[in-house]
Amino acid sequence: MTNRLQTLGTRGALAVVLVVLALVPVVCTTFFTSQVGLTSLWLGIVAVSLTFLSGYGGMVSLAQTALFGVAGLVTARLSVESGWDPWAAALVGILAATAVGLLFGAVASGSQGIYFLIITLAFAQVAYFYFAAVPTFGAHEGINGVRPPAVLGDPVQDPARMYWFLLAVSVLVFLGLRHVSRTAFGLALQGVRDDPVRMAALGYNVRLHRILGFTLAAPVAGAAGVLSAWSNTRMSAGSISLAIAILVLTAAVIGGLNRLEGAWVGALLYTLCDTYLRGWTDRFTTWLGVVFLVIVLVSPGGVVGLVSSAATWLRRRLPGGSAPPAVPSAPAPPVPVSSGGAR
Amino acid sequence: MTDPVLRVRGLTRRFGGVVAVGDVDLDIAPGERRAVLGPNGAGKSTLFNLIAGADTPTSGSIELFGADVTSSGARQRTRQGLSRTFQTSRLLTGLTVEDNLYLAAIGVDGGRFRLVRTGRDRAARERARRTAASVGMADRLKTLAGDLSHGEQRQLEIGLALVAEPRMLLLDEPAAGLSRAERQLLTALLLSLDRDVTLLLIEHDMDVALTVAERVTMMHDGVVIVEGTPAEIRADQRVHDLYLGKAHV
Ligand SMILES: Nc1ncnc2c1ncn2[C@@H]1O[C@H](COP(=O)(O)OP(=O)(O)O)[C@@H](O)[C@H]1O
Ligand SMILES: [Mg+2]
Repeated sequence: MTNRLQTLGTRGALAVVLVVLALVPVVCTTFFTSQVGLTSLWLGIVAVSLTFLSGYGGMVSLAQTALFGVAGLVTARLSVESGWDPWAAALVGILAATAVGLLFGAVASGSQGIYFLIITLAFAQVAYFYFAAVPTFGAHEGINGVRPPAVLGDPVQDPARMYWFLLAVSVLVFLGLRHVSRTAFGLALQGVRDDPVRMAALGYNVRLHRILGFTLAAPVAGAAGVLSAWSNTRMSAGSISLAIAILVLTAAVIGGLNRLEGAWVGALLYTLCDTYLRGWTDRFTTWLGVVFLVIVLVSPGGVVGLVSSAATWLRRRLPGGSAPPAVPSAPAPPVPVSSGGAR
Repeated sequence: MTDPVLRVRGLTRRFGGVVAVGDVDLDIAPGERRAVLGPNGAGKSTLFNLIAGADTPTSGSIELFGADVTSSGARQRTRQGLSRTFQTSRLLTGLTVEDNLYLAAIGVDGGRFRLVRTGRDRAARERARRTAASVGMADRLKTLAGDLSHGEQRQLEIGLALVAEPRMLLLDEPAAGLSRAERQLLTALLLSLDRDVTLLLIEHDMDVALTVAERVTMMHDGVVIVEGTPAEIRADQRVHDLYLGKAHV
């Protein structure tokens, strides 16, 4: 009974949040909708592909921006240079990212922990240098003048429809990944995260599970790449530099690696800071580093973990408020090298 | 005589200069209850790892259910009907008791890659719950494995081995760290196992081992010293010198 009430409560809260988010283009300025809204949504999607891998698969990957770049640049190339329909170009871009994800996964899945991190870092670098060098993808200049599908409008002049589209994709990605985490495949992925030796003893092909988990996250990162190219009407090697790879990791960790929604929370916080604090101080990166450190030290579950602990504390304090058991918060990694836990 | 379910010949495993298991022969008949005894470092866990496929022998051969499995991995042997527990619990600590058992059930049955919930999932879930009840964990289904007490973790460890309905069960010191009452429950559980299941048991606790086992293999320094019935083992002078003497002083 309480369980059902809690589920209803969660659904209600989610609905309220969605309505508020959907009102952003109506209430806020074009600048805010485009600069903060669009950016945090696509950044959130690429970050959630990392949150998923890390939280459910124990794989902290720095290669998500590489997959993001493959999809974004293939899409940009096909639509600008070859005149493809944007949707068709996006589909091919995302498929390309998935294929590369399968390849990356096959290579990296034999390693764990810090070695996995280093291998995926190498993938990120290889992708960066490849796209920075190859003229087909605009080399350092990148590809400009990417046109999103006409139905989504002009992302600069009138970003409302693009914003709603990104919001819808975000919701679908969130629900999709959450569904996967509850299927046999998703549970087994968490089993592999917790104890690969045990999973092998139970009859599982641990490596194959890792590869498939990694491959599953690739189209998510790829979709974010397409949406980024559409939102900014351009993409270049610079969009997937090491700095960006670390930014994605930062956003995911700030939000909280053990909850999918943390990815968007982290992306929003980063984008807000980037938009409004950068002007105040020329030590922006330093301050961001300090904030990152404080969050990691204070709450291993990131901002989302902090909020849910605070909510539990409040409920316990409020008169008459019985304390329902806290949402089990998994032991998140103190540093983003070891495997985290999510459910 | 019926063919053995497990036939081990000349099994050897070296770690550098240490011979953890040296030239061991072992035959286990269908439905047999066999205990492996021996002081710490005798090579019992290493022998189990070799039989389960978690480790590769330096030399020798292993035949399981009539087929040579020396070069096949842990996964294949599990699918053939071999289950094992670990001396130190290896649980999926971030998942609930029920999900642990559910994954153990479908690990052998199939459906490991399924992305939707199907009717077959219900069957596996049902099996997970039944197994939880049989190891005394019916009221802990929704608890995270990482939050269980030591005794409960040992119970779940056995549940994970049982849920797949194995033909052969390897238990590595299942009573380690259990209270007296928990040991009695464990003994009762082992005695109640279906006779179709062959049981190979490493146990430090003589009461559990000699109550459950029909035959006992005594190891020391990687080699088999003596093999016999519990009564013979109790009477054997070498066993007393090596093990009983030390363990019961
Ligand atoms: N992975 C390993 N690496 C090196 N030595 C090992 C390893 N595993 C076991 N040993 C050694 O092999 C011997 C037997 O160990 P083990 O099989 O665990 O004994 P038991 O289970 O009977 O206590 C011990 O001397 C131990 O130190
Ligand atoms: Mg041992």
